[in-house]
This record gives sequence, structure tokens and C-alpha cells, in this order.
Amino acid sequence: MDAYHVTVLSNIGMISLIALSAYLLLVCGEISFGQQAYFGIGAYISGIATAMWGWPLWSGMLAGGLIGASAAAFVGALTLRINGFYFSIATLAFAEMMRLLLYVFRYQVEIGGELVGPDGENGFHGIRWIFENDISTVEFMWIIYGVLASVVAGMMFMERSRLGRIFRMIGQDDMLARMQGVNVLLYKVLAALIAGFIAGVGGSLYAHSFTYIEPQFFNVMLGVHGLAYGLIGGLGVAFGPLVGVAIDIGFLEAIRWIQGYRMIAFGGLVAVMLIFWPRGIFDEKRWYSIRRCLRRMCGAETS
Amino acid sequence: MTDFLQNCIDGVMIGSSYALLALGFTIIFGVMRRLNLSFGPTIMLGAFGGAWLYLHFNINPWLVLLACIVFTVAAGVYVERLCFNAIKRNVAITSMVSSFVIWMQLEEIAIHILPDRTSPFPPLFASLSFEAGPFYVRSEYLFMFAVAVAAVFAVERILHRTWFGLRLRAVAEDPRAAAYMGINAGRVSVYAFVLVSVLGAVAGYLILAADQQVTPFFGLWATFKGLIAMMLGGMGSLPGAIIGGLLLGVIETQSLWYFGNEYKDLAAYLVLFLMLIARPGGIMGQRLVERRRLAFRRV
Repeated sequence: MDAYHVTVLSNIGMISLIALSAYLLLVCGEISFGQQAYFGIGAYISGIATAMWGWPLWSGMLAGGLIGASAAAFVGALTLRINGFYFSIATLAFAEMMRLLLYVFRYQVEIGGELVGPDGENGFHGIRWIFENDISTVEFMWIIYGVLASVVAGMMFMERSRLGRIFRMIGQDDMLARMQGVNVLLYKVLAALIAGFIAGVGGSLYAHSFTYIEPQFFNVMLGVHGLAYGLIGGLGVAFGPLVGVAIDIGFLEAIRWIQGYRMIAFGGLVAVMLIFWPRGIFDEKRWYSIRRCLRRMCGAETS
Repeated sequence: MTDFLQNCIDGVMIGSSYALLALGFTIIFGVMRRLNLSFGPTIMLGAFGGAWLYLHFNINPWLVLLACIVFTVAAGVYVERLCFNAIKRNVAITSMVSSFVIWMQLEEIAIHILPDRTSPFPPLFASLSFEAGPFYVRSEYLFMFAVAVAAVFAVERILHRTWFGLRLRAVAEDPRAAAYMGINAGRVSVYAFVLVSVLGAVAGYLILAADQQVTPFFGLWATFKGLIAMMLGGMGSLPGAIIGGLLLGVIETQSLWYFGNEYKDLAAYLVLFLMLIARPGGIMGQRLVERRRLAFRRV
């Protein structure tokens, strides 16, 4: 595996995390344009923790995730009572506000005769945790995929639990869910919190993989791409978003001759696909029939 | 005090361009109850088509305006067919994501039309500035303001005085009832997109002519300014679009003057965020929100 492939694969892993966080909210019937804010918060917080305070990666990542989650819960509690498009635009406004605040956010300390820390529009240099601990990019890629696998496994487990069923019920019809005695706002805020945590962890990985971050990375295009990947992959199962990311970054990045026309091809392809499968490739129905098929095959083997 | 008033005048002048963009968003939202994210990029594609003709054939600015309108309408109808008509009404998310991927597509097409980062764009008239006491305004913005006001009256007339307007309102009110009355919702939505594209193309032309250049960032800029202005004024309300646009312009110029360039957009987003929390319907659109909130409370 050469450096190029490692970079592409690492990117797929990290972008999958933001796609997963958008996916969780989509399952609850909410469209968030603002997941990049928690991704960015996670990146900055964990970068500050490891590069400036000398924390290990794991605690930095946890801090990034937790701060991302609490920011998401705060925004969610304020904005999830207003439903639909109003929530989408409110998350967008919050995310852009965060990004513009990062342009004026300066907090630096001197480490080894060099200023380290976020420096407004000049970005945040020197998140050197992977160099200091002698971790190669391939090893870091495995860390990313380890985190991703545990997040996906956790989400698949959650989807089969009572919590996941409630999320889906709210996504189908929140009025009906309320009639069943579900506290819709509480569960939506919970979904936003989990989504914020996932995005924050993704951002922490991103900061340490690139070693340099700047506010411009966390613009609205990142969030909307995450959202699109979540929908393209399908709203039926938690590995759907990964499929969406793999199609765009993995498949289309691989075809060299398409380079200048990648978005023309991808845009047309996805637009046509969404006409036939409006809830993505692995939507609820298709995932159900796949699962039934698998069960039958396994059942035939054991009997 | 003079500065404050001059800022207000500048804000209203710049805000009239936002108002024109918001008008397009609000009509589409009113009819389709869905968000068309690729509204800005269709305008950009039209403008790139016009700029390409201007660059290669050096045509008259009025013909450039005409070319902008033609290209924007073509792109708008393409978006309508692919992202809105072909997708069923009850999956609003899908239309939005679909219009987003088409945005990416249109942006790349535009970059292939004009590979330079910036391209010149011809104004209709030579620029003048008027002075009245301590205040002054540029003629392009004054013209834009006049066009915005005229556009509101024209749209209001179309919506309330023509058969097309009646059909449009019927579809917006209740698509199924409209279908029983023999209204072809697909055709109405195409016409609505044509109307909106013409408005958008005129707005885009005037904005770009005031800047005298066009860049590939224009699509993003137009979509976001239009969206914010619409949300501030209230989704689905025509006077709201105008008020929201002007308000956004004034907020931007005031914060630019008092806090500096870094805080200009920040202030606009902050006001939008607070507005959505306190009064999600915006200035004029609270009725729609209240109706749903009442339905929810009854449960």
C-alpha cells in the first residue's frame, strides 16, 4: 500500500464518522447541515489537549467527543423544538458561527521555543502526537478503522435496541410517537448528543491525521457532503453511510481519467439513483429483505 | 449618526440584491414545501453562460442579460425535472440532497465553461453616484433596489391576478385537492421554476454587473444569502423575503462598520440563529409555525 492509498483510505474512515453522525439524525427525521461544527470542535479540542497540554491521544479524543456532544446537545435543546427546515437552517447558522469564531480564536503557548496552538485564520500547526509517538500513517489508519468499527458496531447494536426503535418511530412520524407517550424532544436531543459525540471523535482523528487544521476545513461543504453520503448509502442500516463515502471518495477518486469531471459524473449518478431509491441504497425495506435472506441461508446451513 | 444612517442606506441597497434572491427561494418553498439548494448555482451557470458569450463574441450587455436568463431557465428546468418532479412529494430530504449533488455538478460545469478564477462581467450602464447632503449612493444599487420593488409587485400580481397564480396557490395550499380540480401539478411547478429562474437571473446579472466580475464562488454565495434572507423574513412570505433581505443587508453593513470584516458574517449568522430560536417563523412567517405547534399541542 503506498502513501496515496493510505491517505484515501484514512479519509474514507474519517469522513465516514461525520456521515454516520448525519445518518443518526436522518434516522430521527431531522436534517442537520451543521455536523461539521462538532467535527471542528472535536478537532480543535483534541489538538489543544494533545499538542499543548500533553495529553495522550485517547483522552484527547474522548475530550473532543464529549465537548462535541455537549455542544450538540446544547444546540439541539435550543433548536430541536422547532422542527424540519427550521432546525436545518439553525444548525447551519450555528456551524457557520463556530467556523467564523475559529477565525478569531487565538490561544497559544510556547513549547520548545515555538508557538503552538490555534492562531485564528493561520490555523493550528504542530499537532505532532503521531510523530512524537512514532506512529506511521498506516498504523494510524488502523486506529481510525478500529474506532470506526466500534462506532458502527455500537450503532448497529443500538438500532436493535429499544432506543433505536424509538429513534426510527420518531423518524417515521413524530406526532404518532408522541401519542405513544414518547418524549420526542428528549429523544431527539439524545440523538443529537450521540451524533455530536461521533462527529467530535471523527474530528479528533482528523486533526491528528493531518497534524494541521484550519477553520476553512470545517465549512458547510463538509457537513452537506456527510449528509449526502448518509442518504446515498441508505437509511436502513448503520453501515449505509460507509457505502456512500466509499462510492464517492473510494470509487470515483480511484478513476483517474474522470478527475476533472468527477462531480459531473457523481452528481448525475446520485440524482438518478435518488429518483429510484429515495431513501438510499440500503433503505429499510432492502435491508430487511437482505437480513431475511441471510437468516434463511444460515438457517439452512445449521439444520 | 451620519455614519449610522449611511450604513443603513448602504445596507438597504445591498440588501435589495439579497431580497431578490430570497424571493426566488420563498416562491419555490411556498409551492413545493421543499428547499432548492441549487438555486444559486443555476444562476451562476446562467451568468457563466452570459460571461462566456461576452468574452468570446463581445456582445451587447442587454444580450448578455438575455443569455443569462435563457441559460438560468434551462438549468432551472433541469433541476426541477431531475430533483423535484421525479421524486415523490413526501420525501423532502431526498429532493434537498438531490439538489445539492446537482449543485456540485453545475459548479463543475461552470468551471469547465470558464476555467479562470475570475471573469469580467459587463454592466448595463456606466456607474454614477448620487450625493444628497452627507449621504451618497451608487446608481447600480439604486437600480437594483428599484428592480427588487418592481419584482415584488410583479410577483404579487402574477400570484393573485392570473390563472397561473391561482393554480400555483392551489398547489401550494393542498396538492391533492388541486389535482382533483384538474390542475397538473408538474406543469405548475415547471412554470414556477421558470418564473423563479428569470427573477434569479435578473438578480444575478445585477449583482455581478455591480461587481463587474464573476467567480465560481457565486453559487454558494447566492444560495446562502438568499436562504438567510428568506429565513429572517419568514419562509414562504413574499413581503418577508424583501424585509429579510433588507434586514440582512443592514446587519452586515452595520457590523462591518462597527466591528470589522471578521464579524460581518458572524453577526448575520448570530441574528439568524437567535431569530430561529425565539421566533422560528421569522418576521412575517410565524403563522405557519403556530399552526403546527397548535396541532402538536392538541395531541
